[in-house]
Amino acid sequence: MLLIFKYINSTRKFISILLIMALIAVIGNKNTYSNEPNSAWIKHLYPDHYKVQFAGGIGFVSAGLGYDFFKERVDISYFYGYVPEWFSKEDLHSVSLQLTGKPFKIHLNSKLEYYPLNIGMFIHHTFGSEYYITLPDHYPEDYYWWSPGRTGGLFLEGQLNYQFKEPDQIFSEIGFYYRIVTRGVYLTSKISNTSIPLEDIFSLGLGIVIYY
Amino acid sequence: MKSYLIAILFMFGIFIYSCDEVFEYSPYVIDFEDHETNLTQKNIIALSLNNASDTLTIALTGDTHRFYDEAERMVNKLNTDFDIDFLIHTGDFTDYGIPKQYHWSNSIFSELNAPYFVVAGNHDLVSNGEEGYKEMFGNLNFSFIHHAIKFIFINTNSREYEFNGQIPDLDWLRNEINPGDDFEKVVLVFHTPPFDADFDSDLEDEFMNILHNSDNVLFATHGHLHSFNYSEPYSDGIPFVNTASVEKNEFVRVKIYNNEFTVDVIDF
Repeated sequence: MLLIFKYINSTRKFISILLIMALIAVIGNKNTYSNEPNSAWIKHLYPDHYKVQFAGGIGFVSAGLGYDFFKERVDISYFYGYVPEWFSKEDLHSVSLQLTGKPFKIHLNSKLEYYPLNIGMFIHHTFGSEYYITLPDHYPEDYYWWSPGRTGGLFLEGQLNYQFKEPDQIFSEIGFYYRIVTRGVYLTSKISNTSIPLEDIFSLGLGIVIYY
Repeated sequence: MKSYLIAILFMFGIFIYSCDEVFEYSPYVIDFEDHETNLTQKNIIALSLNNASDTLTIALTGDTHRFYDEAERMVNKLNTDFDIDFLIHTGDFTDYGIPKQYHWSNSIFSELNAPYFVVAGNHDLVSNGEEGYKEMFGNLNFSFIHHAIKFIFINTNSREYEFNGQIPDLDWLRNEINPGDDFEKVVLVFHTPPFDADFDSDLEDEFMNILHNSDNVLFATHGHLHSFNYSEPYSDGIPFVNTASVEKNEFVRVKIYNNEFTVDVIDF
């Protein structure tokens, strides 16, 4: 708890911590409430999935929750990401919103399905006054065209899902994904520069997703 | 089963450790390799080992932003066709101040067969860019003496500090520029020129007074304006050299001999 309070030095950090606590609270999962009356509409509010991601440009480790649409062909996830000071000069707290489309699906067997090529985009906000979203007042209008506090990127992803067919399972599915990520600030740096190695603008991310 | 798990975790740990470059945690992670840190000090040492000739030849550039290909061509040209003592970069070494751009720019300038010194530009200080600069180069204000000339690099990007009255640090400058036994002349290097709107107008007069009163400034060189200019903006005998724009394939060569100097714009 001390560790948590150490980071509550701004409202936005506090809100993000509340969101994580909410995430942990609801991870009790929506199936827990399935027998209660009048719970049908509440059920819809519970996230369809939870994700834990390593790297991928949004944190050393990130925890997310989100919803699936169109029979799991589109998902939207909201992440909180953390980079410990050990990896950088300062610890970094951030949030990101991801949209993933999964146009291809291959049934490997009755329990395994593989999404070979998901495509996605994300926006990413790092907390701290130096990572501002709108240009502070001490700059003239349009002084800098980009926002250090609102970066975004694109990714390509592969995902393998395992379906639990047995009854009374807490999760319906568990998945593993790997992705290759690039960001707007890297793409714009690479444009018209052959001297930038192409591999420098890409990085990898790995993650686990749990479906209820 | 337990040892199996430990083995997997251990291997995953090694995997992450060895794939330092492959995984990115944030665009703002400052994690430079050893050869990318403390470069000002390293270049001062490298310069001190150079054999002194009578004429000092310096290349001036600046505002390289995202002009990586142009910067690379310039460095190649300097390596093949010119024999310079060192290069001065007048800031905006990066465009967004992000660690990756510090890395990319430095990968290009580190190929130079001569020491190079970079003063921070306003773009270098955006987001956690100041931390990146400090990690890669060192202090934002620094100086060294070569050939009895003191080269003073000072952070003049007042707007990045909300015009707080502390940037540029005039006390530091006064102390540095104060005539001493170990140098005869001063070359002043900064990014934002004092007549620019991004320079703290409350400090402009005092800044120029310090330069004027010390009576030893050979010339001042700056960037920020992206085009070559040689002038005496305050008509007080202190010449200003605005480094040429790398995007127009130009750099400036300065030769200093016997406390006199010449300035040429060179195409590459």
